[in-house]
Amino acid sequence: MAIIRTKGLTYTYPVATKPAVDGVSITIEKGEFAVLTGPSGCGKTTLCRCFNGLIPHFYRGDLRGQLQVTGLDVKETPIHELALHVGLVFQNPENQLFALSVEKDVAFGLENLGMPRNEMQKQVDYALETSGISHLRLKAPHELSGGQQQRVAIAGIIAMQPEVMVLDEPTSFLDPLGAEKIFKVVRALNQEHHMTVILVEHRLDLAARYADHVIVMDRGKVILDGEPKDVLSSEKARLIGVGIPKVTLLYQQLAEVGLLKTNEVPLSSEEITALLRGVLND
Amino acid sequence: MSFFDGLKFRRVDSAVHLMDPRVKFFYVLAIFVIAILFHELIPLIILFLVQIPLVILARVKREWLRSLRGAAFLATVIFGTNLLFRFIYGGYSLIPSDVEHASAMTLRFLVLVESFSIFFLTTSPDHLGLALEQSHIPYEFCFAFTTAVRFVPVLAEEAQTIMDAQKARGLELEKGNFLKRIRNYIPILIPLIISAIRRSLELAEAMESRAWGAIQKRTNLYVLGLKATDYSMILISSLILVIGVYIRFSISIPSFST
Repeated sequence: MAIIRTKGLTYTYPVATKPAVDGVSITIEKGEFAVLTGPSGCGKTTLCRCFNGLIPHFYRGDLRGQLQVTGLDVKETPIHELALHVGLVFQNPENQLFALSVEKDVAFGLENLGMPRNEMQKQVDYALETSGISHLRLKAPHELSGGQQQRVAIAGIIAMQPEVMVLDEPTSFLDPLGAEKIFKVVRALNQEHHMTVILVEHRLDLAARYADHVIVMDRGKVILDGEPKDVLSSEKARLIGVGIPKVTLLYQQLAEVGLLKTNEVPLSSEEITALLRGVLND
Repeated sequence: MSFFDGLKFRRVDSAVHLMDPRVKFFYVLAIFVIAILFHELIPLIILFLVQIPLVILARVKREWLRSLRGAAFLATVIFGTNLLFRFIYGGYSLIPSDVEHASAMTLRFLVLVESFSIFFLTTSPDHLGLALEQSHIPYEFCFAFTTAVRFVPVLAEEAQTIMDAQKARGLELEKGNFLKRIRNYIPILIPLIISAIRRSLELAEAMESRAWGAIQKRTNLYVLGLKATDYSMILISSLILVIGVYIRFSISIPSFST
């Protein structure tokens, strides 16, 4: 079942002359882990803003084409109603925390929705637990590392229990370890809690292995859309400058010189190790 | 900066920290009123000493001393001007009661600093925002207040980064006369303001994404309620107020110099 469906989606920012997103038609299935990638300025962030209604309600501008999210027409639904269905995590962790304690911040969305206190407390506990930050509940945002802040932001979304979580380059301000922790939380949400995840990411080394679906954008258009193995091993992806995982590149080179002759494109170091072991044992 | 450091909240587990900010504010008001009522040295000394147990109970002695030290400069100025005016009006001579009066005025200032410092040292901005909210101040204002407090350390850090960057480009902050020095800060202020505006836009986006304004009557994770300590604090503050007013109007106050 499709949870997000766009058809010929075209959007131009108020003062821009060129559309930032140009004729995008994609379908994201329920429960999917989709990775959206492409060079900077290709329209990934703009597309994310479309999913939760920031476009067109917050940014105005000119939105054309069809855009349905969890069965709702985004053009007709106010942002605060979409927020119940789609959570958006931003790039800069610092600018999405408002309160002076973690706990209070996680509760922010629920407070806005007018949830009764005892229920809210339960939801907050659940969200803190799921994102692995229960021990930080009384800390102030400025006492946390970037990775911890980003996990607080994710917890704030989890608390609202949306069906879809969209993460817009959540790891670009973080170190590799912090990034990996974020991916683990997101992975668990997808696997154990069946949340649909759309992850915008440059660094596919860590993210590609979790993906069910990869979409590559360039200059506002969708260039590639499909299975991770097909998309990431394609020549086109390499030419656009997508951050293809190093193991996939290594595989391609080994296949070129004839050392590997398999159609199993590896996306993680474990997968390539298995492939190489198979070849060496032969 | 040291003066403001002396007012900065730090989380400590004490009875005073857990008190309702409204109660503490009532206490500050009571002290304020009494301090204004008296211009004699002895009651002001008592008022100063009376507050010390509270400081000890709150375990903020070090920070509190720092706030007093920060106020020392202003206190000296107050002492000096008072003495100077007494000197001029007294026909260019000083008597012991002039010194006592100047000391009393200085101590009055210190009493006020003392009580405000207790308030700010023991009240988390979160609680303060909550107190504002529960005093029926529109939520938008309370939110603006807590967000402003939330971003103080962030902006301070950013200002430092910009300062370093501009210094690396050859900006000399400490050069020139007073006016020139102020002008030196323009290349720091402009990027700071621009980035703050950009930040506020991102913040607005994040707020919208978390269902800001979904309903009129929002709920709150924390609710302030009055506990036994709060009631005893109200009692103590009221006692200070009543006794102070009583002494003011019915007992003549002895002084050191007469």
